[in-house]
Amino acid sequence: MPGALDDLRVIDATGPIGHYAGRLLADLGADVIKVEPLAGDPARLWPPFLPDTPEPESGLLFLLLNANKRGVRLDLADEQGREAFLRLVATADVLIESWSSQEADSLHLIDEALHEVRPDLIRCSVTGWGLDGPSAGLAYADIVTCAMSGVMQLAGFPDGTPEQLPALQSHACASINAAAGILAAVLHRDATGEGQRVEVSAQEALLMAQETAMQGADINGVDRARTGGTGVLPVKMPGLGVYEVDDGFVYAMCTGTAGSGFAGLVRLMTDLGFEHGLDREPYATFIRTSMTTAQVTALLQDPAQSDRVRPLLEEIEAVVSAFFRRYPKETLYVQGQERRALIGAVNGPREISESVQLVAREWFRSIDDAGRGQTLRYPGPPWRLHGTPATLRRPAPLLGEHNMEVFRESGLAPDAIAALTSDGTPAR
Amino acid sequence: MTAAPRPLEGVKVLDLTWFGAGPIATRSLANLGADVVRVETGKRPDGLRIAGPKPAGNASLNVSGYYNNYNAEKRSITLDLTTERGHELGLGLVRWADVFMTNMTNRAVRQVGMSWEAVREANPGIVAMYQPMQGMAGPHTEFVGFGAVLSAICGVNYFAGSEGRPPIGVSTNYPDYVVNPMHAVVALLAALRHRRRTGQGQLIDMSQLESSVAALAAPVFAWDNAAEEYRRQGNRVPHAAPHGAYRTRAEGDRSDRWLVLACLTEGHWRAAADVMEHPGWADDPRFASLALRKQHEDALDALIEGWAAGQHGPEVAARLQSAGVPAGLVLNATEILRDEHLQARTYYAYPDHAEAGVRAYDGPGFRLSVTPVELRGPAPLLGEHTTEVATEILGLSPDEVAALVAEGVLA
Repeated sequence: MPGALDDLRVIDATGPIGHYAGRLLADLGADVIKVEPLAGDPARLWPPFLPDTPEPESGLLFLLLNANKRGVRLDLADEQGREAFLRLVATADVLIESWSSQEADSLHLIDEALHEVRPDLIRCSVTGWGLDGPSAGLAYADIVTCAMSGVMQLAGFPDGTPEQLPALQSHACASINAAAGILAAVLHRDATGEGQRVEVSAQEALLMAQETAMQGADINGVDRARTGGTGVLPVKMPGLGVYEVDDGFVYAMCTGTAGSGFAGLVRLMTDLGFEHGLDREPYATFIRTSMTTAQVTALLQDPAQSDRVRPLLEEIEAVVSAFFRRYPKETLYVQGQERRALIGAVNGPREISESVQLVAREWFRSIDDAGRGQTLRYPGPPWRLHGTPATLRRPAPLLGEHNMEVFRESGLAPDAIAALTSDGTPAR
Repeated sequence: MTAAPRPLEGVKVLDLTWFGAGPIATRSLANLGADVVRVETGKRPDGLRIAGPKPAGNASLNVSGYYNNYNAEKRSITLDLTTERGHELGLGLVRWADVFMTNMTNRAVRQVGMSWEAVREANPGIVAMYQPMQGMAGPHTEFVGFGAVLSAICGVNYFAGSEGRPPIGVSTNYPDYVVNPMHAVVALLAALRHRRRTGQGQLIDMSQLESSVAALAAPVFAWDNAAEEYRRQGNRVPHAAPHGAYRTRAEGDRSDRWLVLACLTEGHWRAAADVMEHPGWADDPRFASLALRKQHEDALDALIEGWAAGQHGPEVAARLQSAGVPAGLVLNATEILRDEHLQARTYYAYPDHAEAGVRAYDGPGFRLSVTPVELRGPAPLLGEHTTEVATEILGLSPDEVAALVAEGVLA
């Protein structure tokens, strides 16, 4: 079956911030060529590493985000390198890069130079702060973007530090937005033949992840702060939040109108044979009439009710905590979900890797990485397009693996190709 | 406001989403110029219309900042798809649309009769996305949850925060806001392109679990291929040190002020030590390479914490940046709304809403130089466009509309 982008060639000259954008386009069928500096992309040297594999071929993050791409290396600061790069861009529909405006200037890779070789080029810049504005030139790192997009303000315990998002989420969010922007530009080019500039600021790509914090500040002048995951109530809401269980943790959200609510949690206790007493008074009536977050919030705001409600909530919470501690997370998760109770197991890499659902859907895919002499297991694509399915066609490139192949395609002579890597290492 | 055409002008989207992950995706399509018709009911409004933030004392379904931010520029029709006539009208909207999207559970999709089979039969050329939490098939296909539940299942809680404290995650419904909606937009745009080239629509099965793990996959990939056990390390990362958040001294009413700092290269570290007026730290044998700094990271962080405690956050953040070191402040939402960089780039939009007034809305996560992406209007009132959609798209007469409203079908 065809890929949605199998007629497109993409030059991916990004650093780590943009790797995932090219990966998404490659998964959709595009021919993506990763362009790296002579020494290789910095993420090649980032731990953790693939065992029994020498540097710079072992960095797992690089391997993950650059599968499905071919790879070349050259020196953009060198005249021949720049010319070879422009030749390559001339054959491409899309260029993704992560240079600041100053870096692009110093490389003489401004829009005009690129337009000359490829007038309908779609050029996408993925940077920390965008290409203009007073912060545009600031030094970038994932945690700095997390901090300056408001998400760290929300995460963590009141007595601890604000916490970053895990696994380089500003890179992920910037890259996903870049892929979306590129596709919108492709639709326009398909219709009109006109290329354009796509611009992503990682800070802006993450701002939406503040949830309600921005609106709370805008509408009520109130800033959210880190609460340790307890939410906004002055008491612990039973059935809401992280609970310690027999072998780890679960997250429960059994206090809304979705799913089977708190009643579903009580049913789960009963069905598992846990003596909870919540079907007796004064709990039964209270649970039947008042155990959503909205109802409890209203009761706590009413001074006449608040004193009656608090001890009840504490007693119910003690039962819920004791219940969760008794059972393993898989039981609570699967049995709970079968009763439409909103419970999620706090899964680590092993549980995700072995997930019954992901395995049944054949989501992980293995590929033979001949260059590294190993078979690697990759997570699947984020969606399943039934008419144009994503494919895993090749492992991440070795450094400079496709110099000869790619530059020959763009019409460069073998000795000119060899000269591109004249730091002593032979071109492959 | 520019008059240039946007890239999705003329694309018609039937929006059966609610809460976060779905509506943000279709909102993005609206900002790209698509005509997005959102089906709602008064009987069971979107939970975000009920949730706040709302102005104090105002419980209206039309003033939630949470809902409004994710539904800007859409049209809203109230239509009860669980009635026979309502379902017929719903299929009329399916026939009108180029794109169908829902993030309801499979069960809710069945209840409103909008399965892929029904949608395809009504409109064989449609691009249809279903976005249930764990996908359209498989042993856990009926499992339900919001982003916070999914955060646990997909690894956010396990990966975030510090060892020795409960895995509370990042205190939001994280995957709902960027990862899942924008992955959805990528898939929808790719499918639209395929449709324009071939005339063929298609089904997109988007499991929010698969989408979320895809964006967080590094620890899973490391487990599968290197048996690497993941350790929760707070604000540390394996590839940089120092790397963290450090409390600085109180500024006026801002007692909880934090500096973040990331030394990704030896140059960053040397420059940072200079700015801290302890250039000797860079030559300390414990800190002379990344591997050594990782080994002695507790001692390293203790030194920086001690230094930062006496500093004025904004001033040292600026000094570090001047020296080329990635650094900044943990900003709150008020500071972000007032941030001069974001204001210069006009990130936030301030459309005027009939009930909520002029409020801040997030701008798009990407910009296009020729075909602008921008938010041109506020969110709809509940059912604001019922008559308009029913007459213009479904071809009903005003009398028929009035009768159906009275019957509770258009309500």
